[in-house]
Amino acid sequence: MAQFQAYNKLLISQNEEILNYKVGEYTLGYVIHCQYPSYRGTYLSCIESMNVYVDGEEIPEEKIYFNLNGKQFLLKQFQDLYKEYWFILNKAKLLILVDGGLKQGSRHNIEIKMSHKIPYTGYFGSYLVLAGDDKKTLEVKGEVNTL
Amino acid sequence: MTRQIELCLTLYALSAEYTTGRFTLEDCLKKAHEMGYTGIEMVASQMIPEYPHPSGEWMDTFILLMEKYKLTPVCYSAYIDMGTHSDRDLNENEIIQSTIDDMCYAKYMGFQLVRTQHAISPKIFKNMKPYAEKIGIKLAIEMHHPHNPEVPEWKEYLKIMKDSEGWLGVVPDFSIFAEHPHKLNIIQAVEDYGCRREKVDEIIKKHGSYIKKEMLLAGDYTEAEKKFIEDVYSTYGKAHFEWLDMVLPYTMYIHGKFWYLGEDEIDTTIPCDKLLPIIKKSGFTGFMASEYEGHHYNDKLDSCEQLQRWINMSNRILEKC
Repeated sequence: MAQFQAYNKLLISQNEEILNYKVGEYTLGYVIHCQYPSYRGTYLSCIESMNVYVDGEEIPEEKIYFNLNGKQFLLKQFQDLYKEYWFILNKAKLLILVDGGLKQGSRHNIEIKMSHKIPYTGYFGSYLVLAGDDKKTLEVKGEVNTL
Repeated sequence: MTRQIELCLTLYALSAEYTTGRFTLEDCLKKAHEMGYTGIEMVASQMIPEYPHPSGEWMDTFILLMEKYKLTPVCYSAYIDMGTHSDRDLNENEIIQSTIDDMCYAKYMGFQLVRTQHAISPKIFKNMKPYAEKIGIKLAIEMHHPHNPEVPEWKEYLKIMKDSEGWLGVVPDFSIFAEHPHKLNIIQAVEDYGCRREKVDEIIKKHGSYIKKEMLLAGDYTEAEKKFIEDVYSTYGKAHFEWLDMVLPYTMYIHGKFWYLGEDEIDTTIPCDKLLPIIKKSGFTGFMASEYEGHHYNDKLDSCEQLQRWINMSNRILEKC
């Protein structure tokens, strides 16, 4: 309760909406932009879990490729990424694999549930672990050919 | 220094504007200058894109910005991110490495001190003294709620500071003197967590009358209201002004924490009207930061308006005492 909670709405970025990811003539999936919900950045190793829901359906984690700092990770790899810093102004791109992407102009309910540890909070032994949850309705507005 | 206590802006106070892209780093510095601040604090992990290792190019640009807006780089705020690894805490060598790094970067950019955190451990803190002296930069631990000078570890820290010939010190944060819930905390409890307004008022009244927490928890409250009770009792309490006397001899910089000031420019959460005269009378010379932290509760408020109210309040109190 209380501290940090006003930042949660940063997690799903509204500005970029949803972009299909097209490779040649094939659309591999679509991209959602995410910002770390706090006043400062963090190491990806501090993200304890991340679940993504689109129109109420959970996306299997193997279908989510997390792009940051010019690199790409699977969510399962976060625990080892103690040197990978998620700067507060750098938006991560979540590529979600779905054959053909999403229909241009369609709107979708996106929800991300994220559990993240605040690594400097062990005042009396235990760390603060926060729920950084956000929900937004985004529109499919265009496509990209690179990530 | 033109005054005994100079006001400094921690750029962290502008987090709501900065994280949403409304202000860039340069906008924050320009605003600090326009508001009359002469010094700034930077939270490194917030402002440096290449964190934890800023490039020479980034640091050179930062130095030029300091000159452009006539600002003194006062405090480089570093962290001891003990929980960085998913399976263990940082070890001694890692803490030493990051602390020396931070001191070097801060020195390069011209900062007066590095703010570190309590998790550095007394042993490592003490061992940093020769580095501080040789590099020529002070190292200070922030004393933040829920810590205070009576926590055993802090007794040790204060002793180390006393013996450090002025190289090691403390940054007291006014959160340790927070007495009553602020308006944003109350709005959040009602609007975001569904607490009943009349129950929130009742809880605050009882807390202010020193009714025991256990008695409140046994009352007719919802789960959300009980969480609010826990939050209030763990965050706010009668200010121990004697704590200030215990830390002021080793104080290198001050975090003037606040969450909300109304149009009357009076802080009803932190008793600044009592704290600032004690600080002034102690002979403390240096920077005191406006540390607005309402952005953790509400991103709609105008941080600059809040800061201006705090500047006015501080000047009013300091001029009178």
